[in-house]
Amino acid sequence: MSSKRFRGAGVALALTFGLLAGCSAGEGVAVDGGQTGAGGILTAAISGEPDQLDPHHTSAYPSFQVLENVYDTLVEPDANLAMKPALATEWTTSDDQLTWTFTIREEVTFSDGSPLTAEDVVYSYNRIIDEELNAAYRFATVESVTAPDPGTVVVQLTAPTPNLLASLGGFKGMAIVKKSNVESGAAKTEPIGSGPFAVSSYRAGDSTKLVRNDNYWGTKPKLDGVTFTFVQDPTVALQNLRGGEVQWTDNLPPQQVSALRADDDLVVRSAASSDYWYLALNQARKPYDDVNVRRAIAFALDRAAITKAAKFGLATVNQTAIPKDSAYYYDYTPYQQDLAQAKKLLAEAGGTDLTMDLMVTNEYPETVTAAQVIAAQLKEIGITVKIRTLDFAQWLDEQGKGNFDSFMLGWLGNIDPDEFYYAQHHSAGTFNFHGYRNPAVDNLLDQARTETDQAARKQQYEQAAKQIVDDASYLYLYNPDVVQGWSPQVSGYEVRADRAIRFRDVDLAQ
Amino acid sequence: MTRFLLRRLLQSGIVLLGVTLVVFLLLQLVPGDPVRVALGTRFDPETYEALRSRAGLDQPLPVQYASYVGQALTGDLGVSFRSGRPVTAIVLERLPATLSLAITAVVFALLVAFPLGVLSALRSGSVFDHAARVFSQFGVSVPDFWMGIMGILLFAGVLGWFPPSGYVALTEDPVGWASHVFLPAVTIGLVTASILTRFIRSSVLEVLAEDYVRTAEAKGLPTRVVVVRHVLRNALIPVVTVVAVQLASLLGGVIVIEVLFAWPGVGRLTYDAVQARDYPVLQGAILLVAALFLLVNLLVDLLYARLDPRIRVR
Amino acid sequence: MSGNGDSTSRRALVALGRDPLAVTGGVVLVLLVVAGLAGSWLAPAGINEVNVDRMLQPPSWAHPFGTDEIGRDVLSRVLVAARVSLEVGAVSVGIALLVGVTLGLFAGYYQGWLDNILMRCMDVLFAFPVLLLAVAIVAVLGPGLRTAMVAIGVVYTPIFARVTRAGVLSVREQVFVRAAVATGASDLRIMRRHVLPNIAAPLIVQTSLSLAFAILSEAALSFLGLGVPPPEPAWGRMLYDGRGFVTEAWWLGFFPGAAIFLTVLAFNLVGDALRDVLDPRQLTVSEARRHAG
Repeated sequence: MSSKRFRGAGVALALTFGLLAGCSAGEGVAVDGGQTGAGGILTAAISGEPDQLDPHHTSAYPSFQVLENVYDTLVEPDANLAMKPALATEWTTSDDQLTWTFTIREEVTFSDGSPLTAEDVVYSYNRIIDEELNAAYRFATVESVTAPDPGTVVVQLTAPTPNLLASLGGFKGMAIVKKSNVESGAAKTEPIGSGPFAVSSYRAGDSTKLVRNDNYWGTKPKLDGVTFTFVQDPTVALQNLRGGEVQWTDNLPPQQVSALRADDDLVVRSAASSDYWYLALNQARKPYDDVNVRRAIAFALDRAAITKAAKFGLATVNQTAIPKDSAYYYDYTPYQQDLAQAKKLLAEAGGTDLTMDLMVTNEYPETVTAAQVIAAQLKEIGITVKIRTLDFAQWLDEQGKGNFDSFMLGWLGNIDPDEFYYAQHHSAGTFNFHGYRNPAVDNLLDQARTETDQAARKQQYEQAAKQIVDDASYLYLYNPDVVQGWSPQVSGYEVRADRAIRFRDVDLAQ
Repeated sequence: MTRFLLRRLLQSGIVLLGVTLVVFLLLQLVPGDPVRVALGTRFDPETYEALRSRAGLDQPLPVQYASYVGQALTGDLGVSFRSGRPVTAIVLERLPATLSLAITAVVFALLVAFPLGVLSALRSGSVFDHAARVFSQFGVSVPDFWMGIMGILLFAGVLGWFPPSGYVALTEDPVGWASHVFLPAVTIGLVTASILTRFIRSSVLEVLAEDYVRTAEAKGLPTRVVVVRHVLRNALIPVVTVVAVQLASLLGGVIVIEVLFAWPGVGRLTYDAVQARDYPVLQGAILLVAALFLLVNLLVDLLYARLDPRIRVR
Repeated sequence: MSGNGDSTSRRALVALGRDPLAVTGGVVLVLLVVAGLAGSWLAPAGINEVNVDRMLQPPSWAHPFGTDEIGRDVLSRVLVAARVSLEVGAVSVGIALLVGVTLGLFAGYYQGWLDNILMRCMDVLFAFPVLLLAVAIVAVLGPGLRTAMVAIGVVYTPIFARVTRAGVLSVREQVFVRAAVATGASDLRIMRRHVLPNIAAPLIVQTSLSLAFAILSEAALSFLGLGVPPPEPAWGRMLYDGRGFVTEAWWLGFFPGAAIFLTVLAFNLVGDALRDVLDPRQLTVSEARRHAG
């Protein structure tokens, strides 16, 4: 059903960047920062504006930038994206892998002082499942969520799910919310979470202000508050950072980053993200059903050049999906640009004078830029690329209908290898719009999905990845870097591969 | 006067009704389902149904239109597809930014255009006149967004005198507001000034040729008195119209300039609504702008009729 | 008696030849048309010759206008983009001219309720700032070259309708029209043979000026990312794409903008000169509201 597809896409691209400012939801009560104490208030410039602040309803990255500091999940990824205790202090798994029992941290309260118990966890998860909200797919194997007592949550599964923790804690779209706050509709503008900060005001087109949550269960944040302002233009964001109006931004002009790294007045750091960008060829259409045509195109691409144009080098070229820093990284690079080889493969496949439609979207300008480089490169082997630039909604529609020869897009915010491969390359995968079918890969992905032995699981994913790359199901291009800059006054901040921005351990020298 | 007023009011009312029809039909022309398109990746059935019925899309067209107009009359322009907030509030909160920019720009334009236009008319044919005409030709031909970019490069980049973009509310920090409003206001103002210069010049020239001016001059009145008392007073009447029309257009928000300078006004709102496919907001913004435009025009006509009784007869 | 197109255009040409500004404008226009027709042949490099090893290079002998963010030669793209601008300008003004003149002709000729309805419709369109309406139309129909043409055509239609109607009203009562009516000529024939040629002068002026505004509008739409899609070079789009880089690469902002400016200036100079000769008292409605939006 198309509705499913849209919903799924919303999740896949949960972290959409650059959603333009516009209208946001309502005015909060402005709490005067009056008590500027030791930590002070950090102002962070982000490039987009939250559309709303209900974590289960939004899919906009700017919303999650704010909500990361407001909400908690049962578990949460540490710096290496390994799942660590958060609201759950510990958990056990039954022998058949079908029952997970979580112990909920004691004496946790929401920022309004009311207690957070297992009931809240059950309510939050069932809300996502019952209302089929964005993250519902993460509960695909969940049969029930129950709270036998206020300190325990039991998750019952229909099949072993080794990546359950990543599903439950991967991002704040799985946040534990407060029933009354959500049901009154207030969560859209005045969300109440249990995280280190609480939203104090939300002004459309301007800023969102957070104050320290003095009821926070963890180490109390040093900052008195965080103010998120929306600055669309990276040049302006940089100027604001230099001028001291803001102390942190993730919106630096990409072409200046290498120069900025050497600048003593700023701290610029980056981390390889777990996002990846790729080119997909429609295997339901001739001649792209021919693996040799796909491989020819793979050999014609100069990934370094594409990366340089699309990201000014702020990315790592990769021929598989999973980035280098991940435990699941698989070093496999069969394609180096080789025009002779590409032409030979193309000729063997009988593909001459090919005109290829390449669908990209304004929503992600890097696809538009990269497409122009790809077009120039494919011209070298006699393929004429017609670039089609669409609105994202239209783009998704065309993708769903299979109306394309090829498209370029990215997958953002994946953590577990299952998220990287299953939906995209399994013949029954929800996002297999390019029509890839390989029974061997299906088998491997099905197996790995429920494989509880980590070593065996890793090996299965490597085999699957190799086959996917050899078949050129996706032509993987690069993993972008997360680049953020801040003032030297800021201490305790770390750039994270999952693009979550956490200010709870940050201090601000005066 | 009353008859003229009534006729003008009626006419404006009819045009405004037409405007609502156009604005209403915009949504119908969207290929496919506007709510679905608007929601895009944010689609979920609950929101979808809520927005659809809120927008009244499940009813026959004439009913939809009637209720749209009915609600618009009570100040209800629907809710945003994107945020679920009332459109009226969203649009109104953008007005101060646009107003402050438009007024500043027009004031700047008048400061430039008035002396330029009057002097070049009084010294018609002189070097000064030619220079003024070159200036105005330049001003109507230059793309304002390009001039804006060049202004940012020079004043914000090289000289560092003004911030390249951004907005501070006048009520919160007048100095901050002034430094932010300067570049966009000058950019718009220069274009407006060149249009005004032309009108002022030709208007003054026209009056100078009138009999009563010649009479006054023949009576031996000093030139300055003639200019101030007769020429300017009469020449400025038509100029008022042009200034008002300019102001009315600027109130609609100069989209490109507001986007370029990240000025959170109505123009920027329109642009954002287009990007986000937020049709109710787009409709609301356009409706407001057109209504403002009509209102200003109406006021100008009335003012004009007061200033120049001949108009009423027409 | 009934004036005709030939003498109008002859008068216009003579007038242009005498006015140095108009000649300058005319020369620029000729160069533009040459660039439009032979741009890809004149261009020193291919418009889509991407080369990431020469990204954002300042102007040099090899690349007189520098290179853009993916290493393309800016001069070549500016040259070739002339065609898009002229095309959009011509087609959109063509639409506005065709529709506007037809409506204005009928409104002015038949008057009465038809006139009332048509002109109130034009008033409605006129109530929207130009660019705002164009943006709204693009938002509804989806961005692209064709949409841009239609959108700009629609917003400039009322001007032509008004100018035409005003002309028709004054011509209608003249002797030669009445005589034609008396001979029993059909309405359409009268409009074509007697009315139209006599209102050609203001229409020519309006066309020339509208071309300037249409090109400006297309540039503005493209600058908002709502006009011509990449990789096709268009001046406004080049500014849009280069926006993030202008602080380091001024040439990305300067040259395409200068091209727009010169083109618009040329049309304005020619249009003004034409007006001075053909129709000195014409109220340029469009001028008063040109950058409204």
